[in-house]
Amino acid sequence: MTQILTLEKRTALTGIGFVTPTVLIIALILIYPIIQSIVLSFGQSSIDGFEPYRFVGLDHYSKLMGDSRFWNALGVTFTFTALSIPLELMFGIGLALLMNETFKFKGWARLAVLFPWALPTALNTLIWRWMYNSDYGLFNAVALQSGLVERPINFLGDDVLAMVAMVVVAVWKTSSFMALIILAGLQSIPRDLFEAGRIDGMNRWTEFTQITLPLLKGPILVALIIRSMDALRTFELPFNLTDGGPAAATESLSLYAYKVIFDFLDFNFGAAIVVVQFLVIFTMSLVYVFALRNKD
Amino acid sequence: MNNSKLYAVGLAAVMAFGAPITALAQDLVMSIGSRGYGGMVERNIESFQAANPGATVEWNKVSDVPGDSRKLYVTGLMARSSTPDVFAIDVIWAGEFAQRGWLEPLNGLIADDQIAAYNPSFLSAATVDDKVYAAPLYLDGTHLFYRTDLLEKYGLEVPKTWEDVIMASKTVMEGENNPQLYGFVSMWAKIEGLFMNWLSFTGGNGASFFDADGNVAVNSPEAIAATQTMVDILYKHKIAPDSILTMRPNDARTLFQQGRSVFLMVQDFVHAPLSAADSPVAGKFDFTRNPYFAGNKDAHSTALGGWLLAVNANSENKEAAAKLVAHFTSFENQLSAALDENRAPGRTDVYKAPEMETASLIRDFGANFAVGVVRPSAKTGSLYPRVSEAMQIEITNALNQKKTVEKALNDAAAAVKQILGQ
Amino acid sequence: MKSSPRFGLYFLVLLTVVISFFPIIWLILTSFKNTAGIYAWPIQYWPDPFTFENYISIFNNSPELLRYILNSFIVGVGCTAITLMCGGIAAYALSRLRLRFAGVLMVGILAVSMFPPVSLLPSLFQNFLNFGLLNTYTGLILAHAGLFLPFSVWMLASYFATLPVEIEEAAKMDGMGFVRIFLTIILPLSWPGFVATGLIVFIFSWNEFPLALVLMTQNAMRTAPVGISLYPGEYAFPWETISTATVLAIIPVLIITAIFQKQIVGGLTAGAGK
Repeated sequence: MTQILTLEKRTALTGIGFVTPTVLIIALILIYPIIQSIVLSFGQSSIDGFEPYRFVGLDHYSKLMGDSRFWNALGVTFTFTALSIPLELMFGIGLALLMNETFKFKGWARLAVLFPWALPTALNTLIWRWMYNSDYGLFNAVALQSGLVERPINFLGDDVLAMVAMVVVAVWKTSSFMALIILAGLQSIPRDLFEAGRIDGMNRWTEFTQITLPLLKGPILVALIIRSMDALRTFELPFNLTDGGPAAATESLSLYAYKVIFDFLDFNFGAAIVVVQFLVIFTMSLVYVFALRNKD
Repeated sequence: MNNSKLYAVGLAAVMAFGAPITALAQDLVMSIGSRGYGGMVERNIESFQAANPGATVEWNKVSDVPGDSRKLYVTGLMARSSTPDVFAIDVIWAGEFAQRGWLEPLNGLIADDQIAAYNPSFLSAATVDDKVYAAPLYLDGTHLFYRTDLLEKYGLEVPKTWEDVIMASKTVMEGENNPQLYGFVSMWAKIEGLFMNWLSFTGGNGASFFDADGNVAVNSPEAIAATQTMVDILYKHKIAPDSILTMRPNDARTLFQQGRSVFLMVQDFVHAPLSAADSPVAGKFDFTRNPYFAGNKDAHSTALGGWLLAVNANSENKEAAAKLVAHFTSFENQLSAALDENRAPGRTDVYKAPEMETASLIRDFGANFAVGVVRPSAKTGSLYPRVSEAMQIEITNALNQKKTVEKALNDAAAAVKQILGQ
Repeated sequence: MKSSPRFGLYFLVLLTVVISFFPIIWLILTSFKNTAGIYAWPIQYWPDPFTFENYISIFNNSPELLRYILNSFIVGVGCTAITLMCGGIAAYALSRLRLRFAGVLMVGILAVSMFPPVSLLPSLFQNFLNFGLLNTYTGLILAHAGLFLPFSVWMLASYFATLPVEIEEAAKMDGMGFVRIFLTIILPLSWPGFVATGLIVFIFSWNEFPLALVLMTQNAMRTAPVGISLYPGEYAFPWETISTATVLAIIPVLIITAIFQKQIVGGLTAGAGK
């Protein structure tokens, strides 16, 4: 009896001890800053601590509600997410199906799929920016020389095209990530289900829609969650591709917040923006987490 | 026992009283970039140390990209760091940094007659409430570069007005019939340079950012007309490439250097690469002051930029730091910077020096600076970044034809007024 | 009949490979062109002349590039070490010690992993500024550890969960301390999981941008993606420098990915299972 109690106690103490460093770091880097941002957003202070903190209540938030640039950033972020996620999912599933087959050079194919993911987003965005260049870029060169267009296409200078350009880069980079997650799910589908389907006379398409897709719901949901969280907080993509341009047409919420805080040096108003961004993402993550739990 | 105690007290006393004496051996830290003027910095630091034995100056090389060094400075200044003692600031930061209490006023630390020698309109960008917060180090500005061979081929005079530029562009473009050749190219990406460009155009029509009473006047009829010309250059007259809206100064310079444009309006630093041995347009170009609009002969259309030297308000060696600033901006050192590094002096008296006859380039640049227009950074102080950003956005909206010029400028005026709390 | 679908399959594979690789190939080609070649019109597909001058001059013009790469390494290794150590024991505790608060804590960790990094910026910047952690390796390593611990915990927990329950029982009955159990039993059995997690966290840290941008303002301390992204400025977009620097900066990550692709893919797919 006494030995079991001691074991239990020992276990509990060890458990607490083992998780403490992690919890401490997470609290320091993730949790406390959010709380501090919330506090900052309710007040006015000078950036070098010269003037003390002054509580101003919801001033910054009401200013935010009337700030057209904020609504623009919100819209841009949502548009970007809504456009890129379905495409990434589509390509991701396609890639996963491809990778699930057996063929020669599979190693190369796997590497090819992994490379875009492994590159730093910031740097690969710069590569794409160069290819999109209207005067010297690869895409315009090909388009002009093949006679597709007569004048160079101003990819990054047009509102709509810039957003499309951004989505293309995002899809290029993360379809592989989606593919890997879905591949895991694919590989766990028992082979005999396909056998049964084939005996029943299913063709590839019905096999896909009746067997594969339903069983992929879990991984698809996971992939959706991770990617949409990422898309909602996209920063280095607009930062390096268009600097939010042309004239804020691709300025995501993260980018706008960054500019307010570090270009205008307005920490309090910037804090309000990040708090709103955090709330949006947190709410969505809660929704997703509950969806996941119900799935189980 | 007594002896050693006495000795200790004596030593302590010497150290205490000796401290002010040793304090003259001061270590200053100076943050400044190096591109294009590294030689000047080295020279001046050496001569300063020679003239002030006991003083050492450490050169902290910072990035030559303004946005970069600004973030670096801001971080240190926010932390109330005592170094760097002296640092080089872009003209548009002077008002903001002064207002935030980061700069030490130089009146009293630098002789009055030296302050009086600085370029007045440039100095005004660093003057807040009649106190001078930074000393002009060198100026730059935008000029109109043109292809001498092409103008000659078509018998065209050097343009003085925008109407001239447009007409000349069209003539050359039609004559050459080369789809790769454009008439006019400049830096119209959404950058600070766009704001400068816009000030050139609107200034050339007699408009100004603030009117005589200090009210925001960016949507005055003259400004609207000038901005409309910018839009027309792109869409109506079609003498500029679409990509002008994504161009930084270097991109525009590259296009001109490849011989693909008749006119180029950017800062003077492009002169060196354009005249380099491997430049296709070397020997085939020249420059003049920026065009104005007909009827505004005396309009100020040269957009000015440049750098000043400031003293950190938290510096522990303010007097020595100010001496260093005065040294860099002295007559002799500004003259040698002009002759050796092609730095347009921030002092008006240097231009009249006889040696400047040989520095015809600087002299010609300087002549254009006489009709200079500065950005409203002094008046807007710490709100300048927002004001500039608001202007850049609305100007871009107009250039993209997302809004009519009138609506864009009216929105800009409203936004700026809101920022300034007018 | 078999040949037809296989042909289609191989075509798709080829298409995928081409699409994935062409930007990197274009990047490498660009880095071997001289300035005139980069801005040539009509465009040069193949560098002519094919020159190494960018690579030679980059060390004169931008000597800090090697420093950037070094910084990325130091931060990456430091972050990976902390994440594996702290995350490892935390994951062990949460997955195998049957603690009452395990479920809640795991969900909590999952939830905080979704915080947008930019939301952390105003506060992290000010705190690091006040505590002298800006422009230090310690600071950024700590920040990255905070960002990637949730992932690490979840990944390692899923690895540990696959280990049979019995392996510890005997040791526990013998009265062995948990630390020893972890080090002598668990660790050796799950080191593939540690390798995979470590590799992925290293890549995450290498690629991280917002925090690295804000918490390192001195040029000498910047990580590679940030340093290179800041080459462009008000005046120019130096594509020669950028393309060359980018090639140099992505080599480490590409090598790691190429060598360890099996582990990385295994790690990502297994992690997704959870």
